[in-house]
Amino acid sequence: MGAESQTFYQLMRAQGTSRRSFLKFCSLTAAALGLEPVYAAQIAHAMETKPRIPVLWMHGLECTCCSESFIRSGHPLAKDVILKMISLDYDDTLMAAAGYQAEAILDEIPKKYPGEYILAVEGNPPLNEDGMYCIVGGRPFVDKLKAVAANAKAVIAWGACASWGCVQAARPNPTQATPIDKVITDKPIIKVPGCPPIAEVMTGVISYMITFGRIPDLDSRGRPLMFYGQRIHDKCYRRPHFDAGEFVETWDDQGAREGYCLYKMGCRGPTTYNACSTVRWNGGVSFPIQAGHGCIGCSEDNFWDNGPFYQPLSHVGAGFGVEASADEIGAAAAGVVGAGVLAHAGASAIKHWQKIKPKPKSDDHPPHEGDRP
Amino acid sequence: MLDHPSPALSDPPQAEVTAPVYVYELPVRIWHWVMALAITILAFTGFLIADPIWPLQMGQPYNHYMMGDIRFAHFVSAYALVLAMVVRVYWAFVGNRYAREIFLPRVWSRQWRGEFVKTVRWYLLIEPETSKESGHNPLAQTAMFAMFLLGVIFEIVTGFTLYGEGVGYGSWSYDLFTRWVVPLFGSSQTVRTWHVLGMWYLILFVIVHVYMAIREDIMSRQTMISTMINGWRFFKDNRP
Amino acid sequence: MTTVTTPNGFSLNNSGRRMVVDPITRIEGHLRCEVNLDQNNVIRNAVSSGTMWRGLEVILKGRDPRDAWAFCERICGVCTGIHALASVRAVEDALAITIPENANTIRNIMLATQWAQDHLVHFYHLHALDWVDVISALKADPKATSTLAQSISPWPNSSPGYFRDVQTRLKKFVDSGQLGPFMNGYWGNPAYLLPPEANLMAVTHYLEALDFQREIVKIHTVFGGKNPHPNWLVGGMACAINLDGPLAAGAPVNMVQLNLVSSIIDRTIDFIDQVYVPDLIAIATYYKHWDYGGGLAGRNLMSYGDYPVAANNWSDANLLIPRGAIINGKLDEIMEIDLRDPSQVQEFVDHSWYRYPDEAIGLHPWAGITDPNFELGPHTVGTKTDIKQLDEGAKYSFIKAPRWRGHAMEVGPLSRFTLGYAKGIAEFKEPVDKVLTDLGLPLGALFTTLGRTAARGLEASWAAHKMRFFHDRLMENLRAGDLVTANTEKWEPATWPAEARGIGHVEAPRGALGHWVHIKDRKIEAYQAVVPTTWNGSPRDPAGNIGAFEAALLNTPLADSSQPLEILRTLHSFDPCLACATH
Ligand code: HEM
Ligand code: HEM
Ligand code: NFV
Ligand code: SF4
Ligand code: SF4
Ligand code: F3S
Ligand SMILES: [Mg+2]
Repeated sequence: MGAESQTFYQLMRAQGTSRRSFLKFCSLTAAALGLEPVYAAQIAHAMETKPRIPVLWMHGLECTCCSESFIRSGHPLAKDVILKMISLDYDDTLMAAAGYQAEAILDEIPKKYPGEYILAVEGNPPLNEDGMYCIVGGRPFVDKLKAVAANAKAVIAWGACASWGCVQAARPNPTQATPIDKVITDKPIIKVPGCPPIAEVMTGVISYMITFGRIPDLDSRGRPLMFYGQRIHDKCYRRPHFDAGEFVETWDDQGAREGYCLYKMGCRGPTTYNACSTVRWNGGVSFPIQAGHGCIGCSEDNFWDNGPFYQPLSHVGAGFGVEASADEIGAAAAGVVGAGVLAHAGASAIKHWQKIKPKPKSDDHPPHEGDRP
Repeated sequence: MLDHPSPALSDPPQAEVTAPVYVYELPVRIWHWVMALAITILAFTGFLIADPIWPLQMGQPYNHYMMGDIRFAHFVSAYALVLAMVVRVYWAFVGNRYAREIFLPRVWSRQWRGEFVKTVRWYLLIEPETSKESGHNPLAQTAMFAMFLLGVIFEIVTGFTLYGEGVGYGSWSYDLFTRWVVPLFGSSQTVRTWHVLGMWYLILFVIVHVYMAIREDIMSRQTMISTMINGWRFFKDNRP
Repeated sequence: MTTVTTPNGFSLNNSGRRMVVDPITRIEGHLRCEVNLDQNNVIRNAVSSGTMWRGLEVILKGRDPRDAWAFCERICGVCTGIHALASVRAVEDALAITIPENANTIRNIMLATQWAQDHLVHFYHLHALDWVDVISALKADPKATSTLAQSISPWPNSSPGYFRDVQTRLKKFVDSGQLGPFMNGYWGNPAYLLPPEANLMAVTHYLEALDFQREIVKIHTVFGGKNPHPNWLVGGMACAINLDGPLAAGAPVNMVQLNLVSSIIDRTIDFIDQVYVPDLIAIATYYKHWDYGGGLAGRNLMSYGDYPVAANNWSDANLLIPRGAIINGKLDEIMEIDLRDPSQVQEFVDHSWYRYPDEAIGLHPWAGITDPNFELGPHTVGTKTDIKQLDEGAKYSFIKAPRWRGHAMEVGPLSRFTLGYAKGIAEFKEPVDKVLTDLGLPLGALFTTLGRTAARGLEASWAAHKMRFFHDRLMENLRAGDLVTANTEKWEPATWPAEARGIGHVEAPRGALGHWVHIKDRKIEAYQAVVPTTWNGSPRDPAGNIGAFEAALLNTPLADSSQPLEILRTLHSFDPCLACATH
């Protein structure tokens, strides 16, 4: 770290935070992360001794709503993350500098802090047309991405775009938009999927990394277990209605007004790993299902092509380019086989009948078993 | 069937019948019917899980547990199926030679392949009659292996993958299946889709299988359905 | 080249030094700008290029029209929800679906919420640093800052101690040596004109606004489940209302949620009227002689109209935001817009990275084609994957060039206010006149970079008050016993015609937005979006007309030719959104 940088604690003190409220901040952070109170001391220690980690936040093909979500964080406040926890040295959306002055930062920071900065990626690189469906500074975004990743300590994949590909990668993916783990293959990548991810999940992941100096436990797909360890369905407040078999049948029916389960309206809660039903959105105000619309599975790989959204789970496209649901395919096959069986049974019956009833007029060819050589 | 000789045999002069063979030992028979019942329940409840077709139920959730019961039945049958399959695999090792047939179609045997072709011709109504089979004919063996065995394993793997998602991280089914199966398929949604497709695959097998069992019982030279009940294969004629 | 005059009346001269600004930051998405400076560092030629493309219009083909809103919504997360609204309106138009009163009112509340939040974030977090020198704030006297703040607004956070505290924190932050987002800024550039006290006040409100914007969007969370990217529904809204049933507590919208919405509305009105607008006027006071950046402003402008008070009624009288177009600055002649008329809205691609069978002509969106064709002109400097300088004589942007009856148009808050002003509608005319009088400026001063920024602030206030209006309307309808939020008569695809076409339009925060859908056999056959930033950021057309960005940059002098501060200022005044523009 640069010699002139201050620790997080020094900075908070300098900015007028008392030691008491600093410690309170640490225990709140611990609570927000779902940690035991003893960890608060550990967080405090980390913040007292570590300078702010540089974060370079790059944008590929995306809609910037992951950034928008990030600034919605209530605990910690986005401003505290940006000004106190990390050093957000590059972020197209918020930074003062532009053009050459902005580009220079992407050269300087990796040189100044090799192996020490975090690369955060929102969106993803398109590979078609030599990468020129996303151009930054006259060059393909994918080249810049790889260059900045080369010396990063760790990489955060924000949102469904960076993690899975998201909407621009939906069929037929005209730009060949590609999740970042396909182009950055030699760095730890923390995937924080969602379209967008929940604000407090984003800041929760960052503050965990900053305070503990390590990346959180990840599941087999690279997602932090603490937020992506369960499905929406597992903690959904409408789950009792699911178990009871009480479903919304049409929009705005009595069930909809009573908060019944949205399974039959296509809710993807049973197949979606995210923290919406636990952490909820925008300071706990609500989440998609609470607001009456099913989950569309926005944190899942390929969710755009697992539609249509308003079909119950088993009815959705089987996903191999066939425009039919699993049930349609199965029923059609069963129909064909059933018809085949009937036809075969008919033919067999005729044959059988012929066999047991020797034709009286032709004795040169008796249908007798004994005829076989 | 022996007591009621089919008309086919009553017409020609009565021939001496080959001695019966004990094919399906008791565990195989019990397994067969337990498994058949389990799959029937699984498909039925699976349908209802996929499509809860009943109309809007009103009230307090604690008044009903419809979906919960249906899922419970699905899971109980699932465990029954798995247990039955475990017993069956064990029996493949310790049972008679017929107990192994569906696990290992003898594709490497030239004679087996010859019989295979012949059976196909028989089903295409070209061949006037089947060979005598004390176990399964090669085509049946293949179907039992490719459709039934692989299908059931597929349903068990995808089923416990979905089950592990519910029981959660750290459960045995999560660790054994969910952890790798979901990434393999791409997403939990895709696993479900394939679980449903797997059901249809098994349904196809069952349609053909039940039809064949009845057909062969009537048309082939040996008993079928009763074999799966009493274990003995009886032959209807005495030719090779 | 010698000077060329475009058909829309601008002189271009590309003989001077070329300056490239890429990336343009503090916007949404990827935008490149190139200008030619004459020997006095005045911009004589401007080229703006959208440098990203995702292909949403291609991806939408073959999908269920009821799903389209979710795909479209992901066109942009900054104007989140806007494209979803345009999309459900387009599908409803195609299938002749009417929506319930409550759904219409809720959608209006959500739209106004988006305006208020988006404008606020734009002003403080994307635009302010073009006018506010953060480092200069360190020199301010907190007491004088407090006096300044109290002289312009009753906002309570204004004591000397409050400003001193912020200043101390800022100082330590700067002293830490890690400047974060303020690194390499243009601090000290002579074009910054605010005194330190005003800078400190603005920096303080930068932080306060960052905290407060989170509150506004909670309205989307109530009705749509989350923000960004709330949920919508063809035929109404999915947020069923239950006020006094036994299970109301678990219902999407109940008394608690309605009270939350109401309280947020009150606080939003306060914040915008007591912080945003006073800051805006204070800053404008110091910049009122920086009168560049007009371009098409006040000359060619339009609005599609929005905020239908009663549901399903798109007549002029029922719209709170007026509809119409003005050509060549004739404010007394407002022209009718018909989005179905093939000769009105058309998109050209001869300067865009797409292919048409005949690129001399424009296509109406119902006949639109999106077929990418990335090719660089012969005068490009650099290579395909390392562009040093674009050739604006050829294709040079992923933004198409939309034209209305052949004219390049400016859209956005300033265009809407100009129309409202021209129509003499008090709620637009009065605030404009007041600002102009307070600043001692003529009407013409409105048609500048600063005017664009001011109109946005006034519009944020307008929107906040309309949130209140529509919330009251919602409550009144609920009181009358109408709880309906969705019309499901035509939910099932079996009820649809074999083929249908529809239009959905929205006045988005950045201006006029239209979606054109063609549904065939219950699937999307074709989908085209023409977006506010597609209009404003448009490249040249076959006739040589330049778009609003390029026009606005012309003739602006740079104080320091190594720093693009003034370029950012003018481009930011449009609040460019490139993900929107190119989609
Ligand atoms: C012959 C075997 C089986 C058949 C035909 C079958 C069929 C089905 C079907 C049709 C569904 C509905 C899927 C959907 O709509 O998304 C389902 C769900 C499920 N099945 Fe099976 N299944 C079989 C075996 C198993 C096994 C062995 C297990 C293991 C536990 C299992 C566990 C599940 C689970 C967990 C679900 C999801 C239920 C829920 O989350 O509500 N299945 N099954
Ligand atoms: C879910 C339904 C069923 C399944 C999955 C199933 C599966 C099987 C399998 C795997 C075998 C081979 C046993 C072995 O050699 O290990 C078998 C044999 C047999 N099954 Fe089924 N079965 C089903 C239902 C039935 C029913 C309903 C009948 C009676 C109508 C039936 C009649 C038989 C007979 C007769 C055999 C013995 C065939 C032979 O002797 O070669 N099965 N079945
Ligand atoms: N241009 C644009 Fe949008 C807006 N406002 C959409 O229609 O920003 Ni993302
Ligand atoms: S993941 Fe979704 S929300 Fe985030 S940038 Fe991509 S499209 Fe936008
Ligand atoms: S609403 Fe969705 S997540 Fe909730 S219980 Fe029903 S299916 Fe599960
Ligand atoms: S749609 Fe996305 S926001 Fe949550 S409830 Fe579903 S994962
Ligand atoms: Mg378009």
